[in-house]
Order: sequence, then structure tokens, then C-alpha cells
Amino acid sequence: MGYDLHRFQGDVDEELICPICSCVLEEPLQAPQCEHAFCAGCIHEWLTRQPTCPVDRSPIMPNQLKPVPRILRNLLSRLMIACDNVNYGCTTVVKLDTLQTHIQECEHNPKKPVTCESGCGLTIPKDELKDHNCVRELRSNMTTMQHKIQDMSSEMAEQKLQLSEQKRDIQLLKEYLRSVRISNPRIREIQTTIENEDVLRWVSNLQTARVTRWGGMISTPDAVLQAVIKRALLDSGSPAHIVNELMENAHERRWPTGLSTLETRQLNRRQYENYVTKRIPGKQAVAIMACENQHMPDDLIMEPGLVMIFAHGVE
Amino acid sequence: MTNIAQARIKREFKEVVKSDEVAACNITLELVDDKYNELIGKIAGPPDTPYAEGTFCLEIRIPETYPFNPPIVKFLTKIWHPNISSVTGAICLDILKDQWAAAMTLRTVLLSLQALLAAAEPDDPQDAVVAQQYKENYSIFEKTAKHWTAVYAGGPKSCPELDSKITSLKNMGFDENQARAALSSKGWDIERATEYLIN
Repeated sequence: MGYDLHRFQGDVDEELICPICSCVLEEPLQAPQCEHAFCAGCIHEWLTRQPTCPVDRSPIMPNQLKPVPRILRNLLSRLMIACDNVNYGCTTVVKLDTLQTHIQECEHNPKKPVTCESGCGLTIPKDELKDHNCVRELRSNMTTMQHKIQDMSSEMAEQKLQLSEQKRDIQLLKEYLRSVRISNPRIREIQTTIENEDVLRWVSNLQTARVTRWGGMISTPDAVLQAVIKRALLDSGSPAHIVNELMENAHERRWPTGLSTLETRQLNRRQYENYVTKRIPGKQAVAIMACENQHMPDDLIMEPGLVMIFAHGVE
Repeated sequence: MTNIAQARIKREFKEVVKSDEVAACNITLELVDDKYNELIGKIAGPPDTPYAEGTFCLEIRIPETYPFNPPIVKFLTKIWHPNISSVTGAICLDILKDQWAAAMTLRTVLLSLQALLAAAEPDDPQDAVVAQQYKENYSIFEKTAKHWTAVYAGGPKSCPELDSKITSLKNMGFDENQARAALSSKGWDIERATEYLIN
């Protein structure tokens, strides 16, 4: 519905009146052929009843309505209108196109949001401030919150249940897969290929590392350090099936003979520069994967690869 | 009543009061109370018709969904017309039904009703008896319509012969209005009207 005629200063041209609500056009739209203009709200309401122009009954579909010409919009926006809050004491008269901006700032707007200063700090419409009671307001807020919490916790319980069911399903599927793999060599091959490709994809995405201080190698990392590196491996997207193996190969007790003791390491020291090393992101640690180090002597590499952790010297 | 209906009626009321037709006493509009949802309209019978010089009152009720739905209008003054019920005053006029358009006003409704009095549509009747008479015996229809206008709408006295027929039925103990309705629908044949009233 449009703007009440009484709110305007001076006469308003007949052409700016909506034939449906007989008020000044609000968000006007016009009919496609006859070009009669109506408030958007009014014409949409009418078209739910009958697909015709309310003035001359020419057919209209709702999607055929179009904005009115600029000249009409300009004439409308120039009209001087009294503020909505005239009954609350606002005497402002503004151009129609700035009415909305004014209303948002209007001090006389009874619904203007204000902050309660007597304690609760809630934002409430101005006209409700007089009957506002912080305790009552907060209590009702609390009740709403409690309801919300109840709803959420029951939802959470439901989800937990679903999750455990799904975990069980996954477990079953894994069992099933394993038995299929064991009974069928072809599937085992396919599985291996897939796993190898996963490893290659991951490794090729890692950045090549340069170790400047091989002496900083920590050949016997403690459990905490290993856990940190494992986390970083997982974060880098390392295929799940090799993470545990790699981490077991982060300690000299599992390293190949060429690395497993201080003596052999001293002997092979000059070979280190030939390693292709990949940086474990963000850590002073590298992965030395067998697939990239086929050029190295057998006693210096192992399947699927090994992890070397350093105190410093990895770039 | 929603704001839109009330705002419209207020404006339309003024429009009718200010209009030229009012100056010529052709149509008038009065509010029943200050709620703007009930009005009384009056239209003058068009000249050169059986309704000439009569004044016909209409009850106008404004639905809450006005102007998206038409006003609900019926004749309060009894009238003999093919498209208006001689019993209830109900009107058969397309713009008060499916041909209503939201831009129409009470003024256009009253003017349309006036036009309906000047040009009946016997093929789309509200009162089948009147419509049949209109088509089969126009002179009796015209006489009857004039008579009803004189009695109920303050039109000029027309045919004393008809008055005497009603008087004779009245003397038999029948109600005057019932006697008039019976005689009108039976072509002013006293015997058939009596038979009809007895049954």
C-alpha cells in the first residue's frame, strides 16, 4: 500500500496515485502494454486474484511487470512527505526518496532500537523501555537459551548415535574389504597400485628440502617429538596407510644398516648429499621416500620410506 | 477492516460527494456509521425508462479485502427488473462478481447500476419470472415496473387499473405486498394470482 495523501505537502498529481489503494505510489511497477502504474504490493496482491490490469482488464502476468519510467520515479522522489512518526512528535518533512534514511535516524521513532542503561545492556525498541524490566527480560532470555541448549543436546545425542552406527558400518566394510582382498589377488594388486599412486601424489606435492647440517640429526626422537611430526604428516595429506610405518621408521632402531648406528652413519656420511629429501611442512624434519631414492645403495633406503628429524639445519 | 479498504472508501466517499452526478441528484452516498464498511447508496431511475423519477436505495457492504474483492451490493428498494431479485434485491451484474477490477470505485459501481436500469440483460437474469415477462410481454413488464417504481421508489402514479386489482385482493384478506408480487408475476390476472397466493 502506498503513502497516505495527507502526508504530502501541496497537491499531488493524479498520475502519481495508485488506482488500487488510492495512495501515492510506493515502489511503483507498470503493466506491460497499457502502462498503468501501481504500488508493487497492491498489483501483486491483485494478480493473485486475477491476471488482468485493474484499470482496463488487459492481461498481465506477474513476471511481465516492469519498473516505471525514470521521469515518474523522479516526480515521486521530489514529493515532500511528513515523517511516519508525525504522531509521535516528529515535524520533519523530507523528500520522498530520503524518507527511509530519515526514519532510521528519527529520534521520534517509537521502535528505534536503544540500549538499556539500567543494567542488562540489551537492545530494545524505545517505546518498550518504559515497561522494561531487566530481570524479567534476562530471565526470558535465559529460558529461551535453556530451550535452545536442550534442543541442541538432544540433537547432539542423536548425532552421536548416528556416528557410532556409522563407525560400526565402516568397521564392517573394512572387515569385508580385507577378506575380499585376501581371497582375491587381482583386487590386492589394484589396492596396491592405488596406494602407491596416493603416495606418489603426496610426495610430489611436498617441497624439496635441503639439509645444511646433517649433524643436527636426532636419531632417537622421544614420543612427544614423534607425535608432533606425525600430526604434521597427517596435516600435509600423507596417505593414512603409510603414516604409521613412516613414523616407526623415524628412529634409528628401525633404520637400515647403513644408518642404524653412529659408526655406519659416519662411514656413509658423504652419501647423504645424494638423498632426495622432502620437507615435512613446518617442521625440522624430512621424509626420504624409497620411490624417489632408487639411486641410493640398498643399505641406506627402506620401504616405503623413512623420516629424519633434525634439531636444526633443514631449509 | 484493513487500512487499505478504509483509505479507499474515505477517498471514494469524497469523490462521490464532490462529483457532478451528485449535483444533478443522480447518485448519492451516505455512511451508515463512522467505520466506513457500510454505506447506503441512492440512484435515480434513468429517464425514459419505467424507473424514471424513482429513487432506489442500495445497501453497500465493504469486505475487508476491498478493493481486491468487489463491494457487496443489493437493492433495499423493491424493484421489478430482470437482473434484480424482486424478493431479495440481489443483483446480477458482472462487475460485482468476476468482472470486478481493483481500480473500480463506488462511483463507477453506482453509475453501472444506473446503466443496468436503463439496459436490462434478460438473457442473464437474476429474477427468472421478471426476465420471462420482459421477453414475452414487454408492455406488461413496463407497466409493472412503472407501478413498482411508483409504489416503492416514489415515482409518478401510473395505472389506476393495477391499484384496483391489488385492492380487490387486499379485500380478500391478502397482504398488499404479497398481492402485488403475485399479480405482477402472473401478468395481473386476478384468478391466477389468487390461486398462486392460496397455494
